[in-house]
Amino acid sequence: MDTVNNVKSSRRRISTTVAGLTGLLFLAGCATNAPQDTWQAKGPNAQKISDLQWIVFPIAGVVGVLVLALAGYIMFKYRDKGQPIPTQGHGKPTAEIILTIVPALILTVVGVFTFRAIFELAKTEDTEMIINVTGQQWWWEYDYPVQTELGINTPIISSGQLVMPVGTKVLLRETSRDVIHSYWIPALNGKKDAVPGRIHLLRLEADKPGIFAGQCTEFCGLSHANMRMEAVALSKEDFAKWVASQQKAYTSPADGTLAKEGETVFLNQCVRCHQVNGLKKADGTPALAAPDENVYSGAAPNLSHLMSRNTFAGAMFDLLRKSCRADVWDATSEEFGAKYLAGVSESCLNQTDLRAWLRNAPAMKPMYADPTKLTKTGGKYRGMPNLGLTENDIDKLVAYLLTLK
Amino acid sequence: MAIIERPSSEVATPAVVAPSQALGAIRRPVASKGWRSWLFTVDHKKIGIMYGVVAMVFFIVGGVEALLIRLQLALPDGRILSADQYNQMFTMHATTMIFLFAMPMAGAFANYFLPLQIGARDVAFPRLNALSLWLLVGGGLILNASWFLGGAADGGWFMYAPNSGPVFSPSNGVDFWVLGLQIAGIASLIGSINLIVTVLNMRAPGMTLMKMPVFTWMILVVQFLLVFSLPVITVALVLLMFQRSYGATFFDVSQGADPLLWQHLFWIFGHPEVYVLILPGFGIISEVLPTFSRKPLFGYPFVVFSGASIGLVGFGVWAHHMFAAGLGPVSVAVFSISTMAIAIPTGVKIFNWLLTMWGGKIWYTTAMKFAIGLVVLFTIGGLSGVTHSVAPSDTQQTDTYYIVAHFHYVLFGGMVFGLFSGFYYWWPKVFGKLLNEKLGSWNFWFMVIGMNLTFGPMHILGLQGQPRRMYVWTEARAGEGLFNFGFWNMVSSIGSFVLAVGILFFLINVVITARNGKQAPADPWDARTLEWLATSPPKEHNFDRIPVVHHLDEFFHRKYEEDPNTHTMRQIATGEELIRAEEAAADSDIHLPGPSYWPLVLAIGIGVLGLGVVYGTPVMVVGAAVVLLASFGWVLEPSVPEAIDYASPDGDGHSKEIATHG
Repeated sequence: MDTVNNVKSSRRRISTTVAGLTGLLFLAGCATNAPQDTWQAKGPNAQKISDLQWIVFPIAGVVGVLVLALAGYIMFKYRDKGQPIPTQGHGKPTAEIILTIVPALILTVVGVFTFRAIFELAKTEDTEMIINVTGQQWWWEYDYPVQTELGINTPIISSGQLVMPVGTKVLLRETSRDVIHSYWIPALNGKKDAVPGRIHLLRLEADKPGIFAGQCTEFCGLSHANMRMEAVALSKEDFAKWVASQQKAYTSPADGTLAKEGETVFLNQCVRCHQVNGLKKADGTPALAAPDENVYSGAAPNLSHLMSRNTFAGAMFDLLRKSCRADVWDATSEEFGAKYLAGVSESCLNQTDLRAWLRNAPAMKPMYADPTKLTKTGGKYRGMPNLGLTENDIDKLVAYLLTLK
Repeated sequence: MAIIERPSSEVATPAVVAPSQALGAIRRPVASKGWRSWLFTVDHKKIGIMYGVVAMVFFIVGGVEALLIRLQLALPDGRILSADQYNQMFTMHATTMIFLFAMPMAGAFANYFLPLQIGARDVAFPRLNALSLWLLVGGGLILNASWFLGGAADGGWFMYAPNSGPVFSPSNGVDFWVLGLQIAGIASLIGSINLIVTVLNMRAPGMTLMKMPVFTWMILVVQFLLVFSLPVITVALVLLMFQRSYGATFFDVSQGADPLLWQHLFWIFGHPEVYVLILPGFGIISEVLPTFSRKPLFGYPFVVFSGASIGLVGFGVWAHHMFAAGLGPVSVAVFSISTMAIAIPTGVKIFNWLLTMWGGKIWYTTAMKFAIGLVVLFTIGGLSGVTHSVAPSDTQQTDTYYIVAHFHYVLFGGMVFGLFSGFYYWWPKVFGKLLNEKLGSWNFWFMVIGMNLTFGPMHILGLQGQPRRMYVWTEARAGEGLFNFGFWNMVSSIGSFVLAVGILFFLINVVITARNGKQAPADPWDARTLEWLATSPPKEHNFDRIPVVHHLDEFFHRKYEEDPNTHTMRQIATGEELIRAEEAAADSDIHLPGPSYWPLVLAIGIGVLGLGVVYGTPVMVVGAAVVLLASFGWVLEPSVPEAIDYASPDGDGHSKEIATHG
């Protein structure tokens, strides 16, 4: 009898230890500060999802531990110890019915919470701000329609980083120009697909200023892995400053500077696809980009205020050097706004990646940019081609791009 | 149509008579040995074995693809594969594992054991059965030929429009993919009708549906799922084929199409497909667990009906693959609830398996270990599945590694462990030799540890925000500390090689058993169902006399009876004795369907016809001509054998015809 009790209690001790260790391992096993962690909500929409996760995951965990403990017990207890072949009973309907009803009840509880959250997360009538988001291979375009109450008097077109005010119910209106993409900033909400020909709505709201990582999560072809995005939340005052900076008129670099020569290079090469608002040709007429003639999706990032954002090439690369980037990302929510609004200075510019990109973009990011292989698209690129710029041109262009604040 | 076998008490070698003289132009092949006997066979057992070999080859191909994927992802910014190669690799890994390994391997078990379990001598349509096999081989070859003909499909196994269109996937890979799947789909559709008719019409006398073994039940449910879901993917594939090859605009947004059409069509097929994959595994362990617990399955009717209701509800949950696709809250809510509902019959099964073992006398063979492995791993996968049914939570998880973890626990832990359990359980039945149990143990432990190392960390990776289908992951999103993405990706990659070693142990076991294995006893596991009433390996005609069934677990109840006083089971006969008794009372005339050239010829014709979509009309014309020829050959083969075929070698004239519908 004693032995039996000992065996039992030691077995119980073992199973508790195993269960405890597994749980600890799982918790300890998580990376600190993974930028796309789905358990660190930074806004009310993500918080709603997180609250649901905190219901369903523990339930699943407890059920799992119980079932596995039961399985372990049965495996040990009924091993062949030479006992006779048992009676050939065919089951107990009462047990079956109980084991059907209990999970059904648990799921009903989960279902009620789920139901409520689904409809809450689909609400749109409380929207305070609209941003149009368009996906294309392999970057995101943000288009802020005129919203005078927010100081947006002319549309702002940007890419890579979505900038929004904190404590504001932002509604993204998503679509796509080519294949299906999916917009996902885990700290702010779950994902929603951007489907060509359809407009899908996604609520975003951030509690505090900061920068939140995201990634396209619908497989969208060759460079899907490199299609990233970041959401930047600014205090309302800082957001107003950002809006003002994005509507600032264009100033051409002073004559005789390297940047001025860069403007000429830009006019000769880049403006075929990339718009810079206010840029004028040598004859004084506006320089209008025509990406629809060169790129299959019909769009290329608007570079008017390139150096006010921290990334380029679909947020695949940072415009900020590592230390400067860390300075922004690790800033406290009080300091964040000022640091972000400072933009990219010459000393902070990530020259290595930017120059490599200008030298040969398809070598940096897989794209369909080989001019001999574009028969199916009628000669249009999917991505940025190698422009064959000289090092001299690149020096000038970098100097010019630095003026695009 | 029939070959005639002289009844004999020796181990039977079928005597084959000359083909019909009346239609000499359309002779039947007569070889009963050598490669011809395999190529032209219509014997469900030979076909089953060939299904198994083909599936195992593709399992290795898909496994190598998986290892390359894990090599690429072991470190950040992997350089083993280019983006293009990686996209092809994960597309083909999934396609191969689902359509060319899991389904055919389940088909192998179904083909081999379903007739044996219901006391039949073959399937209802033996020639169609052969056609299914050869079409599957053709589809698999076409799918994989694309690697050498300009690149494999690169749109993911879900092949979402419009990314699957000619502009976004300019190589021929997707064309080969469409054709390969279409042809493999014909194979499955034919096979499913064949097995449904077999189960409904050819059960031994006395075997009511509720006395049918659970494996046969689950296979029956699967065939109904296939009959209703395959036409949907067939339609989708036709649309895609016309879009890519003939300029149609079904998914072209500029022409007013909605790309979500493809997603609905794909998942209306794709979700029942998940149950097509898992239910055979459930069926296998529902045979293995009772056998090695020495008890009947707990709650047989509940297990059967929960299987059937999983199948039924499985048609009503497809949009849970689309929670992020923008369906609107009402649809999302409905599919969220239906997905929770399907967890209930699944839970019932798990409890029934555990209660089958409860109070038993458990014998830990390798087959049993794999079966218990399935119960445990599937429980984990099932519970992570419940967390997806919570739609808002799923919008965080979908398209991350958490999903990859989930479905590998369900499909690898569920399906593959079930299949391996089946290998060890039925190997002696098929080949007459027991697989080595010691190597089996190594096989099991490496697989179970490797599987958990590979897929366990993916839960963490996914919840920490690593999306799937990315050819590289970047340190910028990997987090800090020891347990960042780098750590878990490395663990997962190491795990995948441990898993591969486990499977290598199986292959070694097969080779060693084939060379040195000893003859297995007639009833090595003290089994319960009718297939064990046949010899090992079974004779070409399966049963010397068609058994008459009185019980669920008929074979067991012929061996044991309950002692009315002690209520324990008392052995009244051994399996060996029962088999000898059957041989002694063998039927005098047994008619079996004869071999035929035409299934193979027709399959080749269909394959060539399909290649014509890529290589132009002349190829198509050749293919069509072969199809036409094969169809005529097939039809003109005498459906009722000539008198000479009927003449019993002993001149008795008494005959029992069992299968003349080729």
